[in-house]
Order: sequence, then C-alpha cells, then structure tokens
Amino acid sequence: MKILIADDSRVMRQIVVRTLRQAGFGDHDLIEAADGRQAFDMAKAESPDLIISDWNMPEMTGVEVLRQLRATGDDVRFGFVTSECTPEMQQQAEAAGALFFIVKPFTAERFDEVFAPILG
Amino acid sequence: MSVDAEVNENDLAEMVEQVWMSYLDPEGVSPLIPTYDENQPSEVHSSVSITGSWTGHVVYASSTAAARRAAAAFLALETDEVSQDDLADVLGELANIVGGNVKAMLPPGALLSLPQVVLAPDSAARYPNAERISGVYGVWDGEPVSVSMWQSRSDNKEEEDA
Repeated sequence: MKILIADDSRVMRQIVVRTLRQAGFGDHDLIEAADGRQAFDMAKAESPDLIISDWNMPEMTGVEVLRQLRATGDDVRFGFVTSECTPEMQQQAEAAGALFFIVKPFTAERFDEVFAPILG
Repeated sequence: MSVDAEVNENDLAEMVEQVWMSYLDPEGVSPLIPTYDENQPSEVHSSVSITGSWTGHVVYASSTAAARRAAAAFLALETDEVSQDDLADVLGELANIVGGNVKAMLPPGALLSLPQVVLAPDSAARYPNAERISGVYGVWDGEPVSVSMWQSRSDNKEEEDA
C-alpha cells in the first residue's frame, strides 16, 4: 500500500514515518510532500492508498487539499495529524470526508489504533 | 480589561508531560523535574503567537544541550550528529505542538502563527506589551527547560493610544 505523508515540518514527517514503523506499518511504500500544493499534486500523480496530512501548511491547508481531491472525484482515504484540534476543525475535517484526526503529540499505540483497521 | 486565558499551569504541565511521554522520554526514565524557577537561564528558544480569542505567545526555552538532546530524541540521532538545522527545526516543532495544544483549549476564533526560533536566550525576546501569565519550569537531565505563556496587555495599547 502507498501512503503519502504531507507536512511542512521535516521533523514531523520524520516522526510520522518512524511512528508508522514502530506501529508495524513500515513495510508500506511511504512518500512525502512538504506543502499542501505538493500533497495535492502527488496525490494525483502517485495515486496513494492513504494520505496522512498536517492541517496548517503553506500553499494549501490540509483541509483544502482534501476538499480539492473530493471535488475532482478522488476518494482516497485521508486523515489529519495536527497539533491543533478544535471542535470546529474536527467538524470541518469530518464534513470534508476525513477518516481520522490524530492530535500531536501522538504515540505508536495511537497510530496502531487508528491505522490497524485501515491498513490491516 | 484583560481576558484570562483558560489555560493554567496544570494544563501546560500536562501538555509538556505528553510531549515527554511521546517523544522525549518514551521509556519514562528521564522526566522533566519541576524547579518552579521562572528565572532559570536559557540559551535557545522558540515561540508561536496566538491571536484572536486570546492574544499572546507560547514560548519553549532551554539550554543548548537540552535542545540538542531533544533534537536527537525527535530525529533518532546521536546528540553529536545533530546539526544546527535539526536543532532549529525541532525547537520550532516543540513550540508548534505546545502552541497547538494551547490553542485547542482557547475559545473559538484563535489563530496560530508559524513557529519562530531564536538561538539566543528567551530573555532576549522582550515580547512587547506582554506579561508572563503561566509557565512550567524544570530540569531535564540537569539541563533547564521551560514552557511559558505570555499574554498581550490590551490595556498597554490603550495607554499608548491615548
């Protein structure tokens, strides 16, 4: 399975990759995007099976990426990993079609709980 | 009249504990030990600004050694492999994580800035018209680390405007 990790923070992309490995999902094909625009473009070019995205990113926010993907008929599985988690954001994410909302800081156990049903 | 932040020292301490548990001390062997000393020294710091329903700054400050150790823990490196960029990126992410968690506890309508990193003590920042309203101060393996909240003083602005 191909997983796209979108975060403008290099450190956080690295931590998401490491936590995926720790949670036992390291065998999947992991690709990275450093801003929202790149995430959208890579989603189109690489057809990932899952997108794990930050919320606040330059160029396009994570929820804008999700909305634009859905607007083009792309129903790729998509969820957020973000340090900000207000009820409004969660509602927006859900309304746009997000599958999950993981708040930073997160643990490998949290990743396992969220991704085991998705990645099997 | 200033609006009190709805985030107190216990909330901050809980956020800090989660950061330690998730990234800096997952084994639970090296916690941040409170000193309650708001004047403890620092050598580097990072901050995010929040504007809207609450206006102010969330500041992470530490010694360079503690920042290097944090970067090593975040990036799974040895401390002597940590570059200046690693150090700055990790400091920024620490302020971002705590700032994002603080924002989530504030009334709706708060905006979070991108993090700013300064490789100088937090006393060099001199946040204008802001006062420290709470903080967590401690030592991590003997090195100082703190997270503090600085609230903008709207009354100062009014005085200046008058």
